[in-house]
Amino acid sequence: MTGGAVGVIVEKELRDLFQSPRFVVTFGIVSLLVLASFWLGGSHYLEARSEYDAARAEVLRQLEGETDWTNVEPIVHLPPSPMASLVSGIGHDVGRTAIIDPGTPVQAEASLYSERPLLALWRFLDLEFIFRVVLSLFAVLFAFDAISGEKERGTLRLALSNAVPRDVYVLGKMLGAFFGLAVPLLLPILGGCLLLLALGVPMASADWWRLATVVGAGFLYLAAFLGLSLLVSSRTHRASTSFLILLVIWIAAVLVMPRASVLAAGRWVEVPAVDADISQRSRLAAQLFRENREAMMDMLNAEEGGLRIELASETDTGDIEEPSPQEQAEAVAKFQARINEFLTEQATRQREALDDLDTRLAERRRNLEDRRRRMALGLSRTSPAATFSLAAMDLAGTSLDLPQRFAEQTLAYRNVFESFLREVAGGTTGGIRIVVRTDDQEEPPAPEPIDPSQLPEFQFDAPPLRTSLAGAAPDLGLLALFALLFYSGAFVSFLRYDVR
Amino acid sequence: MRPLIEAHELSKRYEDGALALDALSFEVWPGQLYAMLGANGAGKSTTLNLFLDFIQPTSGEARIDGLVVHERPLETKRKVAYVSENVALYPHFTALQNVELFTRLAGRRAPREELAAALDRVGLQSEAHDRRLGGFSKGMRQKTALAIALLKDAPAILLDEPTSGLDPKAGRELTELLGSLRDEGKAILMSTHDVFRAKQVADHVGILRSGRLVAERDREELREVDLETLYVRAMEGDASETAAPAEAAA
Repeated sequence: MTGGAVGVIVEKELRDLFQSPRFVVTFGIVSLLVLASFWLGGSHYLEARSEYDAARAEVLRQLEGETDWTNVEPIVHLPPSPMASLVSGIGHDVGRTAIIDPGTPVQAEASLYSERPLLALWRFLDLEFIFRVVLSLFAVLFAFDAISGEKERGTLRLALSNAVPRDVYVLGKMLGAFFGLAVPLLLPILGGCLLLLALGVPMASADWWRLATVVGAGFLYLAAFLGLSLLVSSRTHRASTSFLILLVIWIAAVLVMPRASVLAAGRWVEVPAVDADISQRSRLAAQLFRENREAMMDMLNAEEGGLRIELASETDTGDIEEPSPQEQAEAVAKFQARINEFLTEQATRQREALDDLDTRLAERRRNLEDRRRRMALGLSRTSPAATFSLAAMDLAGTSLDLPQRFAEQTLAYRNVFESFLREVAGGTTGGIRIVVRTDDQEEPPAPEPIDPSQLPEFQFDAPPLRTSLAGAAPDLGLLALFALLFYSGAFVSFLRYDVR
Repeated sequence: MRPLIEAHELSKRYEDGALALDALSFEVWPGQLYAMLGANGAGKSTTLNLFLDFIQPTSGEARIDGLVVHERPLETKRKVAYVSENVALYPHFTALQNVELFTRLAGRRAPREELAAALDRVGLQSEAHDRRLGGFSKGMRQKTALAIALLKDAPAILLDEPTSGLDPKAGRELTELLGSLRDEGKAILMSTHDVFRAKQVADHVGILRSGRLVAERDREELREVDLETLYVRAMEGDASETAAPAEAAA
């Protein structure tokens, strides 16, 4: 009877839902939004792919006619991915290009939002947004009156006047609401998948798995909100009261808590502004410059005196003997060598001091930013909405790790490019190169143009599916825990619920 | 033979200290209809809630077919059909869908013909069987709820204000239906304000005031007294006037 009763309650929930006007409205809106998100994502991917291919071709085109590899500063691009178009995460905030200049730091620039600020205004209508905001609200709409509404209608008394255990009843309610939301949602999602194929978006099998796990995470998230709705509904006796309470919780969980967590973490863990670090570096540089100048002046005064003595050697008769031009040149050369040695030492010391400061500042910044990030993410994970977002972004490869991954890979590419330059151009890379040419040499032959196909290719490696899953696992677990906790709360509350 | 519905020294005190029932005892045997009369707050609904295990007694026992309800709630619920006051049922479902759902919750699968026959029996017109309940009158909803109770085919039936809000014709049809159910051997416990219907159909009438059974009459005794007068006096607390004739003679 127990299993049968669950089935009857689930069936009743589904029939009740499918025949209600709110289902027709919500299903229509969800279908439209999901299909729109797939279409927009797919179209955006194709557009981005075409821009990416064009930009890469342009890099090679600009190399045509170039005769010296050392003049080449290749631009590398972050390739678009179909999943990043469906779950944009911070993908649109990350710089998509980087100029590879040997010896200088690599800086990604030209993010989609920096180039098209209008898009940043309301962000993207992607699958993550639809689950996080729209569907969670619909989950509330589907289940806010699951218990309190039944009580108001008098059907709760009638149902429980039968030999239906309360745990079975509340389980049937939960499953009914879940299937009532999830099953109709699968239809537009399947439609969206077909749309991707029709648009010609090249989804690899790993992409399909990523999409499936994002949808799975979305279902866990919806289960959490359904459990929460059931919990509130089983703690109240009027549907309107449940709805009001749930609306407040929804606003807090979806709209306020994730943002507030980041702001609070920013308050608690202060990371000095970049300008402050630059200013500190400038002060040290200025101080070193002053010290070096003073030391140099002392040294010059001392050396100048020595030089004068060397150049003006006194004879036995007390006359000043003019040194020969060769002796003069040798003395000046020695003098210059000493000066140069001194300057080189000074420059080395200055660079070491500045490098040391840079390292310390960078480490301090990294530590503070890590601490702030951990705190922000930890706090935000108290909200199922933030937890779902983080899981979805990890699965789609558009999490906070994306800029770091791109930076690491561009840096690695810079090293590859530097090796390549050493190989094709010889000598060192970076710094100033002086070519000495004397007049008595013959006119050199015209240089050969370089072969652009020799340029090492930049290949961005997205994290493998297994890594993404491992990254998302804690958040998926947390979502499951939210769903379980809320459902358990509803279960316990309903066991004591006053059905009169 | 034993009583199907039995209250034994049944008391209920709520958390706020209010005494809703005070040592209530009565029995309803198969083929009997017991009408509980009383004003609002007299304890009628509390009594029904105790028989349905919706609340726990402070002391005493509510028994269905000899089983103590709060000890074996699921077993006793299998033996009880319940019709509540003002039940709205599911407005998006048709009458047939509603009766089918609750019949399945009661653990039965009835063919459509049986469901329709139950609706016919309670007087719901055939044209209304496939109509959604959202457009039903209170009387039509009440009939649907009665059909649900019939289809459960339980030996005991609990009715909470079944005639409340019904027009005279519907009230008379309900009375006839309850009479026929009693004749089939069902034990029926009905809470009501309707003195007229109670006298018409009940085998026993109990009058509750402030949680206490202040008067009880069987069908024979009811022939000799004006139930309405008895009820009013019971509400006013006149003990001598509400004593049973045998008690009064003693």
